[in-house]
Amino acid sequence: MSSRRSSRGAISEEEINELISKLQSLLPNARRRGSGQASTTKLLKETCSYIKSLHREVDDLSDRLSDLMSTMDHNSAGAEIIRSILRS
Amino acid sequence: MAHIGGVGPLSSRRGQQQETSVVESHFQGLLGDVMVDDDRYRALCGAFGYLQQQEWPDLSSACYAGFGAPVPGVAQETSNGGNSFSCSGSASSGGGDSRKRKPDSHADAKKTLSQGDCKRTRGKQQQLCDPDQNAGKGKPEKPRPCTRKKPEVATAGERTDYIHVRARRGQATDSHSLAERVRRERISERMRYLQELVPGCDKVAGKAGMLDEIINYVQSLQKQVEFLSMKIAASNPVVNFNIVDDLFGGRRPNPAMALPLHGQLDQSCLQISAMQQMQHPQAAAFGLEMLVGNQCPPAQSAAATPASVSAGASVESCLDVNGAAAWGIGSQNLFAGFDAQFQSVQSDCLLDSLKMEM
Repeated sequence: MSSRRSSRGAISEEEINELISKLQSLLPNARRRGSGQASTTKLLKETCSYIKSLHREVDDLSDRLSDLMSTMDHNSAGAEIIRSILRS
Repeated sequence: MAHIGGVGPLSSRRGQQQETSVVESHFQGLLGDVMVDDDRYRALCGAFGYLQQQEWPDLSSACYAGFGAPVPGVAQETSNGGNSFSCSGSASSGGGDSRKRKPDSHADAKKTLSQGDCKRTRGKQQQLCDPDQNAGKGKPEKPRPCTRKKPEVATAGERTDYIHVRARRGQATDSHSLAERVRRERISERMRYLQELVPGCDKVAGKAGMLDEIINYVQSLQKQVEFLSMKIAASNPVVNFNIVDDLFGGRRPNPAMALPLHGQLDQSCLQISAMQQMQHPQAAAFGLEMLVGNQCPPAQSAAATPASVSAGASVESCLDVNGAAAWGIGSQNLFAGFDAQFQSVQSDCLLDSLKMEM
């Protein structure tokens, strides 16, 4: 059956598995679990939530940065530059 | 009927034969009906297949009866018998294959039931019929299950045993294939979801490409978060740091740019662009993309711009912060020469400072 599948698609099963395990190594949960290979379904689910959490984190961090920036001296040369950069 | 010998171990079950034979007759009736309508047949199979697999022939038979399926004419069924034989062979091995087709997997239950029958009937007329029917049907797999059940009528009594055995075996493969199907569906569902999450993923065809894209995206996000948090942790009132930070903050909403660039490359490019903008504020209007290349002409003409004076303050502050000797050279060049080589020296300095920051 696997042979049939591989002949059907250009991508081999091993390739996919490789990518899956690579993806798994990126996830913090997978590292912690360390119990072989989790099911692909779970892995993809975790990837979804992980990407979402990363998005949240980036948003949060950039919010803090913008707060930091707002506390800066508005007349300084740096603020001027930043503003011009952000405008672009 | 030589097959009966093979069924020997099941003989204990013969008591149920009568019941099963009833079921079979209903089955066949169904099949006769459904022959016309494959979808309907499959629906029925899905609904009742499990009952039989669970070895509740009574229930299933009741269901079929309730469904009002007429008891079929034997003639029709025997003619179809050929199919059932060929199907049974594929059914056992095909259990795994059926994952992708729901209707088939449901039908498997029925197939297995009829397999025993098919074998018996083989000897009769079915072998002759098989090739013709298979060739005649565009989709051989789907129609087969329907036909298999028809031959049962002839030897109803013995079949019951077979049915149970086959059903059991079929049950295993069936639940297996069903589970596999569910799993695959869930995976593709998640992949679709990830496709929405990851920019540019929808342009890539194939699972491998998507996974690649997802991996890249996750990596870049991780680096982004790492860098941002590092910068925030080290954040101080010094202007230069904030410039870099804000550059990244501003970069984030632009996924097209965030994706292809990674780590150090990003940082150095952005810092360079920050520097260029310092001495040439007007250049900011051109956007980050223009500055990333570091080959942009504005720096060469920077000597003439008065902005360099105001930029001097911030450059010096960053010199203090980084404490790098290289910065001294860089700033000296900046103020003294403004020659064409400035850019390369500056980028070197920036890389040095970048390493220090890292």
